[in-house]
Amino acid sequence: MLKVLMKPIEMIAWFTKDGYPIPLRYRLMDEEEKNIVIRVNKILFKEEEKIAGNRMLLYRCESLINNSLKIFELKYEIATCKWFLFKM
Amino acid sequence: MDSRIIFHIDVNSAYLSWEAVYRLQHGAKIDLREIPSIVGGDSKKRHGIVLAKSIPAKKFNILTGETVYSAIQKCPSLVVVPPNFERYLVASNALIDLLREYSPKIQRYSIDEAFLDYSNGDRPWENVAYEIKERVKNELGFTVNIGIGPNKLLAKMASDFKKPDMIHTLFKNEIKDKMWPLPVEELFMVGPRTKVKLNNRGIFTISDLANLSRDYIYSWLKKPGLLIWDYANGIDNSRVRSDPLPVKSIGNSTTTSFDVDNRREAHMILLALSEKVSMRMRAIDQYAYVVSVGVKNTNFFSYSRQMKLDVPTDCTNTIYETAKKLFDEMWQGEPLRQLSVSLSDLLDNNFYQLSFFEKDNKKERRFDKTLDRIRGKFGPESVFRSCFLYSGINPLIGGVMMEEEYPMMSSII
Repeated sequence: MLKVLMKPIEMIAWFTKDGYPIPLRYRLMDEEEKNIVIRVNKILFKEEEKIAGNRMLLYRCESLINNSLKIFELKYEIATCKWFLFKM
Repeated sequence: MDSRIIFHIDVNSAYLSWEAVYRLQHGAKIDLREIPSIVGGDSKKRHGIVLAKSIPAKKFNILTGETVYSAIQKCPSLVVVPPNFERYLVASNALIDLLREYSPKIQRYSIDEAFLDYSNGDRPWENVAYEIKERVKNELGFTVNIGIGPNKLLAKMASDFKKPDMIHTLFKNEIKDKMWPLPVEELFMVGPRTKVKLNNRGIFTISDLANLSRDYIYSWLKKPGLLIWDYANGIDNSRVRSDPLPVKSIGNSTTTSFDVDNRREAHMILLALSEKVSMRMRAIDQYAYVVSVGVKNTNFFSYSRQMKLDVPTDCTNTIYETAKKLFDEMWQGEPLRQLSVSLSDLLDNNFYQLSFFEKDNKKERRFDKTLDRIRGKFGPESVFRSCFLYSGINPLIGGVMMEEEYPMMSSII
């Protein structure tokens, strides 16, 4: 079961010709205020939601973190161009 | 006319639902809809009133419109969240966009209500209503009630039956069972005052009203009486208007957090209000003939004055000068708590009669336009008149946002 975090993150992404961003790697702070960089190894699926009319892209991803394969979800809020680590 | 199929779509506790799902989308752990909560103004400021409440909050007998302060007294664990109107407008627009997939004839009745004409639809309307309700819930995250009837009035009455997340019908043959037993104040356009009048003559249910003779109600309540009599009998021939009603007047008012007891302060508030109304006026490319000013004093007694200008205007200074004159004529010097400025008798600013005797305000018009553009680009408080510096009075007063974009409730169905 993934836990909801909704943590704002710094992101490097590329954009397809259709205008969809594909996350590559992101950086967030851990509990000791140290930066960690996580490379997105694989996108399992992508969904678009428009809860309350607010469009967000949701990515279920997979990465190797500390030698173990972890699943997490990223969210991209189109109106604000912000990335979040939604669940992990 | 009676073979129409009209839907009335009504968002269940709109502001609160929208706030709740927006917060869930942003990782909130608690659904505001499931705990006693309200959307309301800041309780530290005087403006705090309950704008919307959750169903659990309703159980504490919290009423929409009461002060946040008294609501917290009824339920100390109440969660109070401030409103965010821009966010609600986004949610409302998303709903309208979804409805447009089903019919081109849509009337946005208010921020959280819309009529949809499905008379010429090619699918069974029951299925369509169910699909809309489910899609709104799944895609947009909030619930709606849908009322279905042969006209807008009956559709609107139907959507109010039982909430939330329900579909109800009210066709002519159902009026007797579903609408007539309701208390008369549930009928659209029967407010608290009409209720008292009707109750005094022994009319307590919609059925009592419907079964009066039309001549009797006319001789008693005149034209408005005929309107509610028609409604009680399920008669309404208004069409679903996709075009907005034309704006007839623009006004802004403010309730001050202190007693206004001197002319200088009152004039500053009038200036701040004039700035706002004239900006709104220019934004819709209209001129106004009539300027009116209203005040309410500390005894809650209110009065107003209005004046027709010789030449229509949209100019801040002219409106302010007129407002000041009207105010000085009527004010008795007592402390005031509320002031308002409004403009009416509007006309398109492309065609108007020029006057020989009025001063040419070409320069002022350019000045106003420039200010509007600067404020549009850098925010409403990027430039303001120096008299407001350190005065504690907001240089632009009135309105939650640009109301032209914000569909407000009207009494015209």
